[in-house]
This record gives sequence, C-alpha cells and structure tokens, in this order.
Amino acid sequence: MVLVLAIGDLHIPHRAPDLPAKFKSMLVPGKIQHIICTGNLCIKEIHDYLKSLCPSLHITRGEYDEDSRYPETKTITIGQFKIGLCHGHQVVPWGDLDSLAMLQRQLDVDILVTGHTHQFKAYKHEAGVVINPGSATGAYSSITYDVNPSFVLMDIDGLRVVVYVYELIDGEVKVDKIDFKKTPTATI
Amino acid sequence: MSPAAPIEPNKKTLPESSSSAWGELSPERSYRRFGDLRGVQWRIDLGILPSSSSSIDDFRRVTANCRRSYAALRRRLLISPPISRDERHFRDLVMDNPLSQNPDSMWGQFFHKAELERTVDQDLSRLYPEHGSYFQTPERQGVLRRILLLWCIRHPNYGYRQGMHELLAPLLYVLQADLERLSEVRKLYKDYFTDNFDGLSLNVTDLSYNSDLEKDEDNMGIQKDMVKVHHLNELDPKIQTIISFSDAYGAEGELGIVLSEKFIEHDAYSMFDVLMNGDEGAVAMANFFSQFPSPENGLPPVLEASSALYRLLSTVDFSLYTHLVELGVEPQYFALRWLRVLFGREFALADLLVIWDEIFALDNTKLKKEKEVKFNVFNSLRGAFISALAVSMILYLRSSLLATENATSCLQRLLSFPEDVNLRKLLTKAKSLMNLATDALNSVLEPRGHRHSLSSDQAAHASPRGGVRENYWEEQWRVMNKEAEDRKQVGISRQVRNRIRGWSEKVKARLAKVTRSTSPFRRNLVDDQTAHLEENKKLVSGNCSSEQNSNSNSNNNNNNNNNNNNNNNNNNNNNNNNNNNNNNNNNSNNNSNINETGSSVESSSSVIGPEPGPGPGPTVSPSTSISSGLYRSTEDVFSPVPTSNTTQYSSFNEVKNDIITKRPVADLGDEQSSPGKFQWLWRFAKTGPEGSLDKSEAATSSVNESDQKNGLPEAVDRNKFKILAQSMLENIEVIESAENLSENALEALKELRKIKNLLSERVLD
Repeated sequence: MVLVLAIGDLHIPHRAPDLPAKFKSMLVPGKIQHIICTGNLCIKEIHDYLKSLCPSLHITRGEYDEDSRYPETKTITIGQFKIGLCHGHQVVPWGDLDSLAMLQRQLDVDILVTGHTHQFKAYKHEAGVVINPGSATGAYSSITYDVNPSFVLMDIDGLRVVVYVYELIDGEVKVDKIDFKKTPTATI
Repeated sequence: MSPAAPIEPNKKTLPESSSSAWGELSPERSYRRFGDLRGVQWRIDLGILPSSSSSIDDFRRVTANCRRSYAALRRRLLISPPISRDERHFRDLVMDNPLSQNPDSMWGQFFHKAELERTVDQDLSRLYPEHGSYFQTPERQGVLRRILLLWCIRHPNYGYRQGMHELLAPLLYVLQADLERLSEVRKLYKDYFTDNFDGLSLNVTDLSYNSDLEKDEDNMGIQKDMVKVHHLNELDPKIQTIISFSDAYGAEGELGIVLSEKFIEHDAYSMFDVLMNGDEGAVAMANFFSQFPSPENGLPPVLEASSALYRLLSTVDFSLYTHLVELGVEPQYFALRWLRVLFGREFALADLLVIWDEIFALDNTKLKKEKEVKFNVFNSLRGAFISALAVSMILYLRSSLLATENATSCLQRLLSFPEDVNLRKLLTKAKSLMNLATDALNSVLEPRGHRHSLSSDQAAHASPRGGVRENYWEEQWRVMNKEAEDRKQVGISRQVRNRIRGWSEKVKARLAKVTRSTSPFRRNLVDDQTAHLEENKKLVSGNCSSEQNSNSNSNNNNNNNNNNNNNNNNNNNNNNNNNNNNNNNNNSNNNSNINETGSSVESSSSVIGPEPGPGPGPTVSPSTSISSGLYRSTEDVFSPVPTSNTTQYSSFNEVKNDIITKRPVADLGDEQSSPGKFQWLWRFAKTGPEGSLDKSEAATSSVNESDQKNGLPEAVDRNKFKILAQSMLENIEVIESAENLSENALEALKELRKIKNLLSERVLD
C-alpha cells in the first residue's frame, strides 16, 4: 500500500509557469510516501514544493536542471520492487525501448522510470517494466507533438504494482490503471 | 497476560466486603448471582445477556449471537478497500484513484480510516500506564484498536474522541479477570471440567482406563479423590456456574462458551456498544462525546448534564453552589472529564470497578417521557445515581473548595481527586442523594443559562464524515463541485424563479408607478397588490438563497423607487414620444435618483438586511416587516403626494398588519368598480403581450416607455386582461412543475391563482 509518485520534466519556469491547477489540487501532502522525479524541474522552488508533498524525494539530473548535484541515475528499493531512475537524455536514441532495457539491465532494477520524451509510456517486457511519466506541465518538447500534461502514481503492494496514470486531456483529468505483477524469482 | 498482582487480591476482598457492608444499604438490589464474575454481571446489567434468572442455554445463545454479529461487522468493515476484487474495473477511475479528492471514493475512505487509526493509536499508547503490563501488550492494543475503530466507523457521526478508550479499557479488563477466575477454578477443580459429550460425564478416571494404570501408585490417590465428591451439584453453586460457563457443548458450540478467551474481543465490543448507546435507556455515554446540541433544549448533552449537576448541588448544598458560581467555576470544566470517562480518571482501577458495579446495577430505562423532563441526559435511575455520585464527590471536597477564593485552585482541587478516598462513604452518600437527584432532574425549571464556552461555535454544520473531519482539500472539492451539482438540479427551478421574479417585478413596477397618479383609495388597492406579490414572490422563491432574495428585493426597491421618481419627472413632460430618449432619461434619472432616494431605500434595505439571518425558508414575520418596510419607503417617496384620507391609510395599514397569504383576494372585489381603477391593469396589460412575461428585467425599460402613452381605447382592455390572465396561468403552471416546493410556496401559488381568476373575471364583466 505504498504510494509512489513518478513525475518529471516540468521545465518550470522556462517552458511552463506552473503545474496545471487540477493536478495541483490533487497533489496534497499526506497521501504519498515517496516521490521519484526524472529531472528537469528546473529550479529549487519546485524541488521545495515536491519536498513539501513528501519528505522522501528522489531526483536525477535532467539537462536543464539548475542544481548540478543531482545524480545521473538512482536506484531505490520500495517493498519488493527495485526502482531505477534516470532522466533519459543520456539514453540514445531517446525513448527507444531496447536502449532503455539495456539501462534497466545495467541498473538491475524491476521498474525503470525515465523521462525526457514528455510522453507517457508504460512498457512491460520480460525483465520488467519501463515507465515514462511524461511531462507534468505539458511543456514543449522537440521530439513530441501535442504534449498532454501527465504524471504517474504507483501503488506498490507486495508483489504487485498498480500504475495509475493521470493525464490532462482537454482540461479534464483522465485516469487510467495498469497492473503489473512481479514473478517471485529468487534474487540472490 | 495476568493483570498486575496487587489488583487481584484487592478485587477478591472487595466483593466480599462490599456485599457484606452494603447489604444493608441496598436491600432492594436483586440477588447478584454472579457477584464475583464481574464480566458476566456487567453484561447482564448492561442488557447484553438475559437477566440472572435465565438458564445457561439462554446465556449461551445470546452470547453466540452477539459474537456472530461482531464477527460479521469486523469482516465487513476492516478489510482494506484497495485489496480489490476485480469488479472494481468498471468503477469510475476518475473518482476512485488514490489521489482523488472525492471523499466518497474508496481511497478517500481508506485514508480516513488510516487517519482514525493514527488518532486511536495515540491515545492507546497512553492508556493506563500503571497497568502497562496488561494494557500495553501489542495484542491487547490490537484488540482495543480494532474495537474502537469498528465502533467509530459504525457511528460516523460521533467519530473517535479521546476518552472512549478509557471507557473500553475497564470492560476488557473485567472480562479478562473473569477468565483468570475461570483458570483458577480450573486448577482447583480440574476434575470437574468433564467432557459432557454424550450427556454422561465420562471421567478420565474411568474404570477401563484405570486398569491400564494399575501399576501406578497414583491411581489410588485419584480414586480416593474421586470418591470424595462425585457430582457437580455438590459443589458451591458459584463454582458450578463457572464450570458450566466454560462448557463447549451447548448448541452453539464453541461460540457459546460464556467465558471464553477467544471471543474476548467480541464481548468487549458488545459491552462497549451498549454502554455507548445506552441501549434505549437514558444514559448513553456517546451523548457525552457529542458536541452538537440535542434537539430538546439546544445544548450539547455535556452542558446539559453539567447544569443538572449544579442544579442538584444547589438543592443539596446551596452555599457551596453559590461559592462555586461566584468564583466562576463552570461545571463542565470538571464534569466533562468525570462524565465522559464515567469517573475513570478520578479513581484507581480497582476502585473504579466497584463504582461501576454500582452504576451498572441500576436500571437505565427512562423514568419519564422525554418531553416532560428537562434533563434528558440523566433520565433514569442510573443517570440519577451518576449525578448523585458526582455531587457527593464535590461535597467530599467541600471544605477545601470553600476555603479557596480562586477559581483555578478550585478546579485544581476538583480535577485531581484525592487518591485515598473512602469509597464506601462516597457511595453511601450518593445513594442517599439519589432521591433528591430524581426530583431535581424532573423539575421543570429552565436550565441555568451559563455562558457555555463549549457550545455555539461547534453547532456549525455537522461533518458528514466521522472520526476526522473532512480535511481542507476535501471541503474545497465539495465546495467546488457543489456548484456543478446544484446547477444541474436547480436548473429548472431557477428558470421558473427567474420568470416569476421578472413578472412580479414588472407588476410591482407598474403598480408603484401607478400609485403616484391614482387616488389614495386606489393606492390602497395597488399597495395591497404590491405587498401580496412581494410575499408570494418571496415564498415561492424561498428555495434560493435568501441573500439572493434580499438582493433582488433591494434591487426591486431601487427599481420601484426610481421608477416612481421617473414617473414624477416624466409626467411633467408629456410631449415625449421618443422611446429612446425616454429610456435614456429614465436611466439617467435612475442614476441621479439613486442618491436622492438613498435614505428611504436604505431604510428598506436595512429592513431586508436581517433576512439572511434566519436562513432560507422565510418565516412570515420578517416578510411582513419587510413589506411594511416597503410600504414605508414608498410612502416616504410619495410624501409630496397629498394624503387626503389618513383614515384610509390607517385602515389599510391594519389590514396590512394582520396579513398573510390567507387574506382573501376578494378584498379587491369589494372596492367600487370604476373604469379608471384598473388603469394600472390596463397599462400592464398593454405591456403584457410584448413583455411576454418570460423575459428578464431588461424588459422593464421597454415597459417604462409604453407607460407614457395614454389614451388607448378601453375595448382593448378585455383582450389584454385575457392575455394577462393566460400568461399568469402559464407561469403558475411552470412554477408548480418545479420540484421541492415548500408548503408556503404552494399557498403562494394558490393566491396567485386567485389573482388570476380575478383578472379573468374582470374580463368577463
């Protein structure tokens, strides 16, 4: 029953002034246990805002982030799942599933969360799950047209993770749900 | 697992001493069959178990039922929602996701429960630290937590309040103590816990069995013991009952074991539930936790109870009472804690058990009907005893209370009740005060109006979710979405109201205009009509916010007064044929006249001002005052008009004052009929078809212009009246089709119908 928020590519203040109001009203402190952020926030104020939502905040460095102390990649263990975090601009071609899978094997994680393409994706392949939470502000991207603001909430419960994706389409919040189960392989 | 050692001997000796010492005090007390099994006795007293005289089977049956219901409850309410069944797929995800602010979603409930649990845990960790070995073990804490959570979820209007855990703890303790007793007895009389499998008692030491152990020396010993007492009935009856209570072979099987460790949670829950609900008796502990005023006398029950206490104190010891009142010691400062935890914090656990014995022994059925008694909270023997006990506690501290001249030290004294209290004396005194208590409580005097600091600001809206009030975000969500929801529901009725408003405003405008030019007599009629319409309009549109109403009323007033002044001005210029010019003049005159008529308008709007106070659903009296206020204002404006007949005004005022919707519209018909009398109707009729009464106030300006025209033939009148009546009927029907009309609105509609009929009558003349 651990709620993990995956969010990123806000590009505040360069490409967007703020999170959409409907998203902001949903993100209230007290409900979420962890926040993992793919990067490109870009400024400290957003870091502080996310910190106010939840004290457990993990961020990796995006190419426009003004704080250079964020790491390039990060691995976190929550419950039974190992989660890997990376911004994604390091993985070329951007958004390519095979390359991302390579990164996943490299980090040895079950769930890999990356961003940079500003487009929501959730893939499952034999080794695990690759999630891209998209851009929470719908910021401009040179590689994606028609960016809708989106973010992802993962509900980790034992060996099962339920991924809720929240998208703002035409001014309305749409929610979708995807279930993933981890096969209980003996990890040595 | 066993309660702390010092408690046990205390408990054992006390019942003996209590029964011997108090035998003389309460001869009327019924024979307590289970004097030393407090758990059972309390369950009987509270009404969970049937009365003492029933058989073991009845006991078993009732116990089993209670336990079954608790188990069902637990299964239903404690399973956490997100462990989903797959039926959830077709649930609306927008509502049901974890971040949803919608308080009704499953996740919202889940978070509420988590919040409740946190609050409960905070209290539980501080429960009875002096008996920590018993109460602080994780299993016990778990039991307590589950019971409290379930009760709070079941009763969301009370939520969890601090103190409930302290009510629950002794109940659990007492049940545990019973089990201890059972195990003691078991040790002593283990041979009698036989297997009543076939209705025969098959002793372990059967002959066939014995043969195997012949070689053993102990055999002889056992046989000897067996010879001593063969049958169960030769034992002490109390031991017998204990043994039979542990019998697992009744119809309900294991569920029916009256003294059962496995079901201690279930039993504790039922006891707690009954204690809180009062079981239809008068004293319901839950009342003391509620902050909302009871419907009978508008005070929260705690305040009611506290004032009852003080009332009793005043009859018993007036000087102490006055002393306390002078110092400003409000009863609820200490009574709150005393009552909410039933004196749990004032006495040590052992003493508390004795006190609760006494309290529960008394009957809780209501003594008198609710309407006849001022203090419903204590309306039973048990309640009387509780209040008497509280007063005797106050009296116990009499000397030290009278000595201090300081409210805080008084309170300190009261709140830290001394440890070494002679319990027997206290209880004796309480018993003696009981009669006084019942008298005092049944008196019909008003409860003193102490300044209740606890009261009014919590009388605000009752939170729909228990335990934790809706947090800020959820309230915002409700507020935001309320408009959307309301909009859908109110759509039609709003249109209707708008129509009515528009129409009646036009009518009023006409009426007001015309009063200027007509005779005083006619003005009476017209003013009556105005008032009538005003009321009707108010009543019919009573569903919308009163502010809206009052705003529109004040707008109407403005319009009326301004239109009146316009008339005054425009009548002087009869050569004005240009509509647009008229309109412009009117508008500019409106603006300029707003200032002039400021004072009179203000007087009327100030009369309207208080209307939002009583809230929606206008009562009759404000509307009368408002309409008469209207009158005053219109009359003020008309002061330059020669008021020839003051008597007519006064008569009309009288008629006005004993108003209301019941006043027959036939009054109108009593006036002399003259063609000029209905000039106002005529003018209105002209505008009727054009204005097509459904339009908004914007049409009033067009109506202004047409009023300036004079000299239309009267032959057109009848037609216009017909159309007028027709449109009125349509509107009435529209209004009626709207839902949620109050009774007042329906009456107002009837009146409107009468007006319409009148109009159509005139047509036929």
